[in-house]
Amino acid sequence: MRPYGGRVTEPPEPAAAEQPEAGARTGTTGGTGTTGGPDGRRPGRGAAAAARAARSLPQSVSGRAALAGAVVSGLLILAIVFGSRLLHDFDSALLPYAVATVFLAFGVAYRYTVWVSAPGARRLFRNGWRSLFSAENFRRTPTALPKMIATYLGFQKFLGARSHARWAAHQLIFWGCILAALITFPLTWGWFTFTSDSGAGPGYAMRIWGIKVLGFDSLSFIGWVMFHGLDLAAVLVIPGAGYFLWRRMKDRGAITGQRFAYDMVPLLALIVISVTGLLLTFSSIFLHGGGYEFLAVLHMVSVVFTLIYIPFGKFFHIVQRPAAVGMQLFKYTARQDDEVFACRRCEEPIDTGPYVENLRGTMRDLELGFDAWAEYCPRCKRVLRGNAYLTQVKKGFK
Amino acid sequence: MTADPHAAGSRTILPLDPSPAPPGTRGFRDAGGIPADQWHADQNGETLVPTHCCFCGVQCGMYLRVDRGGKVFGVEPRNHDINRMRLCPKGINAYQQVNHPDRLTAPLMRRSRDEELREVSWDEALDFTVSEIQRIQREHGRDAFGVLGGASLFSEKTYLVGKFARVALKTRHVDYNGRLCMVSAAGANKLAFNIDRAGNPFSDILLTDCLLLAGANVGECFPVLTQYVWGARDRGATLIVVDPRETAVARTADIHVALKSGTDSAFFNAVLNVVIEEGLTDEAYLAAHATGWEEVKANAAQYPPSRAAEICGIPAEQVVQVARAFARAPKAMAFHARGIEHHTQGVENCLSVINLCTATGHIGKPGAGYGTLTGQGNGQGGREHGQKADLLPGGRSILNEEHRRQICEIWGIEESELPAAGTSMMEMVWQMQRQEIRGLIGICNNPFVSLPNYAVVKEGYDTTEFHAQFDFFLSETAANAHVVFPVTIWAEDEGVMANAEARVVKHNKAQEPPAGVRTDTWVMCEIARRLGAGDKFAFGSSREVFDELRRASAGTVIDYSGITYERLEETGGISWPCPSTDHPGTPRLFEDGTTYHADGKIHMQVVEWHPPADPYDEAHPMTLTTGRTVAHFLSGNQTRRLGALVEQTPRPWAEVHPSHGFRNGEPVRVVTRRGSEVFPALVTEAIRPDTVFIPYHWPVPTAANALTIDALDPRSKIPEYKVCACRIEHADAIDEVPAPPVAPGHVAYPETQVSRTDPLPPSAPQGRGTSERS
Amino acid sequence: MMGRTMFIDPGRCIGCQACVSACRECDSHRGKSMIHLDYTDEGSSVASLPTVCMHCEDPVAPCAEVCPADAILVTADGVVQQADTTRCIGCANCVNACPFGVPKIDLQAKLQLKCNLCYDRTAYGLAPMCATVCPTGALYYGTIEELQAERPGVQVADTFVFGESEVRTGVAMVVPAERVQWPVPGGLPVVEINGKDVRR
Repeated sequence: MRPYGGRVTEPPEPAAAEQPEAGARTGTTGGTGTTGGPDGRRPGRGAAAAARAARSLPQSVSGRAALAGAVVSGLLILAIVFGSRLLHDFDSALLPYAVATVFLAFGVAYRYTVWVSAPGARRLFRNGWRSLFSAENFRRTPTALPKMIATYLGFQKFLGARSHARWAAHQLIFWGCILAALITFPLTWGWFTFTSDSGAGPGYAMRIWGIKVLGFDSLSFIGWVMFHGLDLAAVLVIPGAGYFLWRRMKDRGAITGQRFAYDMVPLLALIVISVTGLLLTFSSIFLHGGGYEFLAVLHMVSVVFTLIYIPFGKFFHIVQRPAAVGMQLFKYTARQDDEVFACRRCEEPIDTGPYVENLRGTMRDLELGFDAWAEYCPRCKRVLRGNAYLTQVKKGFK
Repeated sequence: MTADPHAAGSRTILPLDPSPAPPGTRGFRDAGGIPADQWHADQNGETLVPTHCCFCGVQCGMYLRVDRGGKVFGVEPRNHDINRMRLCPKGINAYQQVNHPDRLTAPLMRRSRDEELREVSWDEALDFTVSEIQRIQREHGRDAFGVLGGASLFSEKTYLVGKFARVALKTRHVDYNGRLCMVSAAGANKLAFNIDRAGNPFSDILLTDCLLLAGANVGECFPVLTQYVWGARDRGATLIVVDPRETAVARTADIHVALKSGTDSAFFNAVLNVVIEEGLTDEAYLAAHATGWEEVKANAAQYPPSRAAEICGIPAEQVVQVARAFARAPKAMAFHARGIEHHTQGVENCLSVINLCTATGHIGKPGAGYGTLTGQGNGQGGREHGQKADLLPGGRSILNEEHRRQICEIWGIEESELPAAGTSMMEMVWQMQRQEIRGLIGICNNPFVSLPNYAVVKEGYDTTEFHAQFDFFLSETAANAHVVFPVTIWAEDEGVMANAEARVVKHNKAQEPPAGVRTDTWVMCEIARRLGAGDKFAFGSSREVFDELRRASAGTVIDYSGITYERLEETGGISWPCPSTDHPGTPRLFEDGTTYHADGKIHMQVVEWHPPADPYDEAHPMTLTTGRTVAHFLSGNQTRRLGALVEQTPRPWAEVHPSHGFRNGEPVRVVTRRGSEVFPALVTEAIRPDTVFIPYHWPVPTAANALTIDALDPRSKIPEYKVCACRIEHADAIDEVPAPPVAPGHVAYPETQVSRTDPLPPSAPQGRGTSERS
Repeated sequence: MMGRTMFIDPGRCIGCQACVSACRECDSHRGKSMIHLDYTDEGSSVASLPTVCMHCEDPVAPCAEVCPADAILVTADGVVQQADTTRCIGCANCVNACPFGVPKIDLQAKLQLKCNLCYDRTAYGLAPMCATVCPTGALYYGTIEELQAERPGVQVADTFVFGESEVRTGVAMVVPAERVQWPVPGGLPVVEINGKDVRR
């Protein structure tokens, strides 16, 4: 009970300040003095900081990453050699592209290894794959994984929740790039060939690894699509990337913290690739090859640049995004077992139990000494801190 | 099969998304942006229109952001010296009213209350209004038609309301909703100083050594003023707060006097008693500048601290502490607001504070003085220029022959044509009940929420034969009218307002009104023209009205003649009196110790405490007091439609002390002699155990004013909102907050109303924490 | 502590939530309010606590450290940005690891959102929206010298203690002069929940 009518707080009495009746109290056991004092500040800070600095990129991680990169690019080279029937089907004009994909393979593998070596990603990586390969999971909900892949990776429903326009634009870019990649990568590697028995059409056969899979007439609709797949991809990508570029120049939310190399260059690269690609077609159909050489070089330079840029810039999200499926599957598995973890103070759900345990493990790995705090919801953390401030620092104005 | 079928069921339907997330991490308080904007941030080429907030009497400066299409879409802080970029949640959200889907855009009309309102043309609505005015005045006399104005109107419009009633309608019955707000302070100011305004500018607060806030919840009702209070404390000032609740400013005050509601004058008399006993009076100042001191002194002797302790329910030592802190301070200031004014002795409460300031010599100096905090945006300006029942422009009295003659000359009418003094707003409602007033035009007010004792108010309005209302949203009162005129919102017209410092500030037009909406000025002038008084109402704009207002106030105490729109735009505001265009205005009064009485002295008045009008008994042992919460403004017709403010504070509650055994959120029935309503209990130790608090911004069945008493101060005619007898009981279910009324065929903008049905009280009187149920 | 930064004084806060509304008006996250306002002494007093991102300096941003997608970046001037939209997978690690309870999450959008100190304003020398409008100065933006010029004798602390660990932040709290050498209690360890002693 508060003595009513007699609340004189002059002078302020921090020591005698009331304790809250309900809710949780906080305190450093043994009073503030144990951790306080100018000499006792930041216990163990030096050691922790050193450990953290050493962790930034340990020798072993970069070595492992380089090894992974080398292995993957080596495998790709072998795949190219054998896929093109010992370079029989390899188009030497596409050599720069093929070399770029080898670099891309190295970069992605290297970057990926570094990425999943960090504590947060490593733990989620393991848990994600464990959920993925869980036979029980598959038995219980065989459709969960395909559904998640379709909604998160294919149709990217989560982007729709951010903005419908951005979702539409991203879908255009996404499907455009998928189409382009499906056509160009195998072509570059010499896996696809288009051959004509007559030498100049109109009857063509499409072969993969030398095996005929499709025969078509180049004058038919299918034929037209087959030969203009890349133009279609460009037509999809240009409006999508154009929208994002326009937004980056107009929307103040997007402009905040925007960096040219990170945010603008990828869009410009996509647009340059698409436009030069279309112009190549334009040149060959309407200009009888006028300017073709120059355009081809420009196109090739932009593509090579983009491929090499993928592991290091914004495009790395293409590699990272599947982690969202792993994360969701991991949480979904625990939810099916009703393993919901409730805040220790307010008893509202925080997240799944395995997730909270995973997070605490991550925090321990990182030597963040307050992993026990993860068992309280953010609101309770704030309320407890506010209460501690009220009772231990100052109650009111002074 | 032994599997639990429930578990199996839940497994099969368990959606992939979303996973659980901790409470409050998913809510962004993003309800109900204006649809025109949809929260985009891709505006190019916006312009910033400097103006002021439409809400309280602080009149914070702000910029309205206007897009290329000429539409208001946002707000930007403005470094005006009143508020120095600070804004409160109401001010930040104010702009969302401008292009709000609930806006009225066509006149509404019905010939009898049995019919539904329907949209009609302006001509039809005006013709019907004029014919009804003429019919009622022909059959029942000119005074059978009344006008009620409002104190959120620009000063030009308040001037026009008074002139419209007296020149076009020729009725004595005109009053305004400042009667519910400011009049006790005004009455006390007139009696003591013969000038009705605060004595010092806000900036003086920063210079004071001791600040006394009486019945003023500064933190919630004038949030931006808090920076001055804290600024004073940063420089070492002592803060004294007199309030039955431990409000945000009281929480950290040096002395918080949690007295019983309705006992203020006993407390201040006792403080004066201690000041006299301890020899802390400023006798030299009193001898030179005051009259009535001997009588006041003798009366104070009747109030020793022990008596105040008993009446007010506080420790006697607090009286002594307050007296010493206030009287010993080199410079002390006292501010009060509705807490001591909303009483049947509201004028006397204010006078007892004036007596204290005068006796200690804390008047008219930098950092020392006395003032009142006006609640409505134009609470000060709205009472100056003749929409009050007994006043004419320039604060002239309608009973004074000389003043009448001056005004008739300016208005170009015969003195015989100028009606006599009218009655106050609550009295007019009683007259409507008695059919003495049969027709009414209400402009910018919502008495169904704001007047006490709702049952009486409803009956009064229902008894009228004709009722027209001006508003931009359909208020609860307007929804009961015969004719509703859709008028402009503050950002669609220009004009001036006077804030709590009596500083006149200029509001600028930020966008064109929507099609179908007219200015209040146009509607009043058009009705006057159709009534045959067009030559007296040939105003095309606010500027033309302001020029006449300046002429009409010239030479009076409230002299606006030196104030022009251009000067206001240059200076950011000028305090009246300002008699010439080279006069700098008068931010601080009484600097030479002279008041506006003929003898130049402060007329101290004897104040005797008497109990409130509503007696306590066995069945009604507790005190019900009412007030505001920070997210809402007055009758809530504006703020109950703004999504963010509804999210912050969706509904009213009954604040009770834990000693009554209620759990937080439990239904509690509050019963007074006028009725009973059920609210969720907000259980807190920050209120006196003998007191219940309910915020008053909501309509029935969640209206505090269905419970309050319609007893008036005999001098100011202010209703006693702040105290009535009540009891509390357990109940089964809370009363639901109704949706705000909208024009026929519409629904209240749904995005903004999502939280309205929340059955729980907010976590604190200031609202729900950002992680609460969102 | 950064040069120009935010100073928080819950003792001045009146809980009006102007900051909550103002946050929504900031163009970098227009329509979404990121700031937290909690009534920390519910049932006893109207005390309140505004919480903006504290922009941790040592250890650098626990939210960024636990992020599995490297989505949270720290600018050269010490501002911990909200999650990069292309990278964030919406796992909520940051939400639950933050010792101050700052980040929010939009689960549908798979996106974390949090206070970025109104980077669109501070990058141009303006104060963040919340500190611009705060009617009480409970949220103040400027340098320590500017703060002390306005509030003579005021002291600040930028170190918080959570159990055995300390966190030094870019945003500081106002403390009484005699407490300036002590870290501000962060709320951990929790000694009592709803009347029960939980010390083990």
